[in-house]
Amino acid sequence: MGTKMQAGAPRQEHAHAHMGHSRSQCLKILRRLSAYLDNDLSVSVCDEIRKHLGACPNCEVFVSSLRQTVGLCRHMDVAPLSPSFKARLRGEILRAAGRL
Amino acid sequence: MSIRTPEPRETGAAGRPGTGAAGRDGHDAGDFDRLYRDHVDRIYRFAQRLCGQADDAKDLVQDTFLNAYRGLKHFRGEAQLSTWLYTIAARACIRMRRKRKGEPERELSLDEFIPTSDGEFRLQIPTEGLTPEEALANKELRRALQEAIQKLPKKYRLVLVLRDMEGLSAKEVGSIMGLNERAVKSRLHRARLFVRRELSARGLGEPIRHQREAKS
Repeated sequence: MGTKMQAGAPRQEHAHAHMGHSRSQCLKILRRLSAYLDNDLSVSVCDEIRKHLGACPNCEVFVSSLRQTVGLCRHMDVAPLSPSFKARLRGEILRAAGRL
Repeated sequence: MSIRTPEPRETGAAGRPGTGAAGRDGHDAGDFDRLYRDHVDRIYRFAQRLCGQADDAKDLVQDTFLNAYRGLKHFRGEAQLSTWLYTIAARACIRMRRKRKGEPERELSLDEFIPTSDGEFRLQIPTEGLTPEEALANKELRRALQEAIQKLPKKYRLVLVLRDMEGLSAKEVGSIMGLNERAVKSRLHRARLFVRRELSARGLGEPIRHQREAKS
């Protein structure tokens, strides 16, 4: 079983989501979120992003939903092929290749 | 189901086959059987994730292994067999879609995913407190995720499927797609943002709860 997905509930107490910083700071963070989730950034940049997320409810919710998206993709399974279909498919491939 | 004409293939694969008597195509029948047996499940899973439809996925598996059969004699062990097969499958997928739709690929701009309002920032996927496995037990969410992935332009879909679903590294995805790592990461970020927006904007109705909880 995987890690619990983060809820990312908005902080309702913040009436203005960009209070205390400019929107451009949020956009700068959003452009790096996949790299952040994949641990592709330096420690100092990660610290900067974490600090921003702690102060910005909008970005906190956004990164939570992006993390959920990646988690869902990683856990999306596929029904396997049946042994009989695999055998039939192999026969068709070999026939097409001229081996049967 | 139809067999299509194969494309030129790559050379190089690990676990170089070819210990038995070679046939007219330069490798023995056992080589192909081993290749097929060891990799058909993986390639089918990849194809199903890429195509969404079981019939298309089966066509893609067939194309991939037919091309692999014809290219097996060129194997030089320079890459993993699985990477070689992914490369063949990715190319076959690109051809398949071009033939069927005949339309140019749409580019995804990062700007289109930048929220313009607090409401857009705060769009959420209603799976609060659930593991991904628990959330995916919900059929509506599974369908929404599949549809979102299918809506991706294929060059983004291929990267998302290879990286986030098949679990390959950015370097491996770059090798398969003929891209540098920077380009892989750029496409991946756009693809994730696209799927996130599709899922969160869709509105899945009631928040998804774990089945045990819903029954009680």
